[in-house]
Amino acid sequence: MRAARSEWRLVALLLAALLGCGGASGQTLELPAHERIVLKNGLTVLLLEKHGVPMVNLYAIVKTGAAADPVGEDGLASVTAGLLRKGTKSRSAQQFAADLDYIGAAFDAEAGADFSSVSAEFLTKDLARGLELFSDALLHPTFPQGEVDKLLAQSLDGVKGAKDDPQQVIGLYYYGYLYGTHPYGRPSGGDEVSLQRIKRDAIVKFYEGNYAPGNTLLAVAGEFNGAEMRKKLEESLGAWSAHTVASAAVAVATPAKGKRLLLIDKEDATQTYFAFGNVGVARNDPDRVAIRVVNTIFGGRFTSELNEALRVESGYTYGASSFFDSRKAPGPFGISSFTKNETTAQAIDLALQVLQKLHKQGVTEEQLKSAKSYIKGQFPPNIETSKQLAQIIATYEFYGLGDDEVNQLEARVDAVTPEMAKQVIQKHFPSENLVFVLIGKSSAISSAVEKYAEKRDARPISEPGFWPPPSRMAK
Amino acid sequence: MKTGLVYRTVVAALGALLFTGTAAWGQAEFPVASRTLKNGMKVLVQTDHSIPSIALYIFYRIGSRNEGPGTTGISHFFEHMMFNGAKKYGPGELDKVMEANGGSNNAYTTKDVTVYQDWFPRSALPLIYDIEADRIRDLSFDPGKVKSEREVVASERRLSVDNENGGLLDEQLWAAAIVAHPYHWPVVGWMSDIEHWTMEQLKHHFEMGYAPNNATMVVVGDASPEEIFQLCEKFIEPIPTHAPPPAVTTVEPEQLGERRVVVRKAAQLPLLIVGYHIPQTNNPDFYALNVLRTVLFEGESSRMYQRLVDKEQIALDVSSFTSPAFDPTIVQVVAQPKQSVDPQVCEKAIYEELARAKTAEISDTELEKAKNIRLVEFYRQMRTINGRANTIGTYEVFFGDYKKLFDAAKNYSGVTKVDVQRVAKVYFGASSRTVATLIPDNAHEKAKP
Repeated sequence: MRAARSEWRLVALLLAALLGCGGASGQTLELPAHERIVLKNGLTVLLLEKHGVPMVNLYAIVKTGAAADPVGEDGLASVTAGLLRKGTKSRSAQQFAADLDYIGAAFDAEAGADFSSVSAEFLTKDLARGLELFSDALLHPTFPQGEVDKLLAQSLDGVKGAKDDPQQVIGLYYYGYLYGTHPYGRPSGGDEVSLQRIKRDAIVKFYEGNYAPGNTLLAVAGEFNGAEMRKKLEESLGAWSAHTVASAAVAVATPAKGKRLLLIDKEDATQTYFAFGNVGVARNDPDRVAIRVVNTIFGGRFTSELNEALRVESGYTYGASSFFDSRKAPGPFGISSFTKNETTAQAIDLALQVLQKLHKQGVTEEQLKSAKSYIKGQFPPNIETSKQLAQIIATYEFYGLGDDEVNQLEARVDAVTPEMAKQVIQKHFPSENLVFVLIGKSSAISSAVEKYAEKRDARPISEPGFWPPPSRMAK
Repeated sequence: MKTGLVYRTVVAALGALLFTGTAAWGQAEFPVASRTLKNGMKVLVQTDHSIPSIALYIFYRIGSRNEGPGTTGISHFFEHMMFNGAKKYGPGELDKVMEANGGSNNAYTTKDVTVYQDWFPRSALPLIYDIEADRIRDLSFDPGKVKSEREVVASERRLSVDNENGGLLDEQLWAAAIVAHPYHWPVVGWMSDIEHWTMEQLKHHFEMGYAPNNATMVVVGDASPEEIFQLCEKFIEPIPTHAPPPAVTTVEPEQLGERRVVVRKAAQLPLLIVGYHIPQTNNPDFYALNVLRTVLFEGESSRMYQRLVDKEQIALDVSSFTSPAFDPTIVQVVAQPKQSVDPQVCEKAIYEELARAKTAEISDTELEKAKNIRLVEFYRQMRTINGRANTIGTYEVFFGDYKKLFDAAKNYSGVTKVDVQRVAKVYFGASSRTVATLIPDNAHEKAKP
């Protein structure tokens, strides 16, 4: 393949797209009309009718995520979400699977840092059954002990397996080293130590304490009749009994000062994977569109400055990029790439040079014009399906953003000037204060990378946890 | 398993679709306009104005099966070089110009085809044709670019194979399962071949494979057939025909007994892949095989998931993979054993489940379920311009006619329990399987004081 569609970059791209981007030139992009209602029990519902493909998509956001995991129990929110379908008041996990698969439907539940999401997709003709399955899992999970044990064991091995592929875990180490004990530094899927501490009681408590209609918003998009859908939702999800939920705010993390470097030793690596950067911005930052435009130029597309330097011109890597993972509180900014052991320092040096050049020279009018055209031209496929639309409108609602994120995209992107770009670079792209994380063969690269920071840490990849090293608390 | 190199479909999804109203199995079609240019390139256009975007795919019938020892990986390398400079748009210009006009691109190489993908707003339409014509006709081979791109490909190999256990084991599996036919070697190429390709080999490959008569163009989105055919006449039709690649004549001899491969390397978790021989994609058992695989592997109610992941808890997941192929190929069963589980325990369970499917028919419920799953998966493929471009092209190239995608619903409906049992018996025998296992070997760790 020509360019990696790595998960991390895809997350960055999707998030960047959701930050708000432009419409196609000559045609204004617009989110389809949608309705917002609040049921008596406090559940917020967004309804978007889209005809043409006979499917219905549900996307629910429960406004509590991994950031609320108790200390030492990283993975609790994630495991709770994973167990919703693994046994309800009317179905065993196996029965749920059989009923879901029979109609070819999909069901997913997971927890990110800011929120948990529960989603489903099925054919319009199966609306009654699809909605019933979705409600059953969301409202009536029973967390059978056997299923709890199974999922925890699977998750534990899953973390170990992920460590066999540095690409899968570089983000976890980076976020951990950047944020330390702040919630955004903790692995949302848990680690080898935390997963062993999680007990059924804690899962039930997390569910009962956070899954409530007043703490949830649901987007429904696809081919359906609005009035009929409202009625069905009132009957199924309207019956969800209301209770109050403690809202959790995430503290704003202080950006890192100075430089520090973490080297994770993977003895058999022939390639070093690296990420560096600092704390970025929150999802609703007023500079988000300008940031998006500048980041596109710097590290957000194939012809970005980073990729041009590290791949196209020098051949050091198959891909280099930068991202803003913007969240409720300021999320990470990072520059990431990988290169063979022998060119580790050269590649990092080059990435640093490109970053310094961004600060010294900013971006040109021509680069801005190109990036704006790119953002606008590439946006329409992001709102092509009802699956995408359900997720986008729910996410905007959660972060307090509106339809203008799409409807005013073109105008906002066009309004970014070189002066605005300069300010955004100064304010939001780090320069001297940098946190580095590398995964690679320590014996081959450690001396070459000493120069990047005086403060340095190291761990073998096989040691449990990411960063900080988990303390050995009693079980 | 993630290798960015090989285009994989978990199961190629087929069914019927209506865009204008209610869906039903086996109903009509969406219009596709078709023209074969004077130079032999076939062009297919499906118009859709729902978003102001276009997906343009060009399928070249050249892949790693057209290579030989010493030049393995050259098709894939060539795919990279197609972006690195031609006559009008020099090194680095293609991407800059495309992205500056709102477009993006990618490409992938498989054992059979190389596919170039462009996604762009309709305003960029003439420009895209100018770019494509330039590189099809006049690709240049700047030595500096060859040098740096060789490094890029080596980095890609390290990313998806050398440092990725799934990719590594997959490579070993193919090499053991296929001993004679060119499917034997990896698409990305052996590392020593990557290091030694010459300029002559590159130029020869271009001359061999990149003829317009060896390609099919698919355009889906906000463009009419008239304007596309006009652009083709202007930009593409003048490009001369030349001979397509020589036919691949090697036929893989029948495998006469089980083969086993073991890879020992540093790892936290073991891995298991079992490969079985199946015919080329365009074969009468295609639908029955897909139904069998759906029953066995798809969804948490599937037989393999229930047995290995849920009940016995010996694996984290178990799935099957195959890709479209011109020649007889391999279907893989991939199991991720849990850390403490010997892969042979997973093997035993897999063979027992396969045996069940051979000795008794699947149930009516399972048959119906499998067909429903395939239908919904088809809708997922068809609901985006990108998915449609890929599916129309895949059908045209591998089944010989894009219209066959409209028969899929009928073909699925026609699959019986007897068919499913038969294909289980025919294709999943013990003597035609190749078993590749990755065993964690962390000796270097044990050696530490």
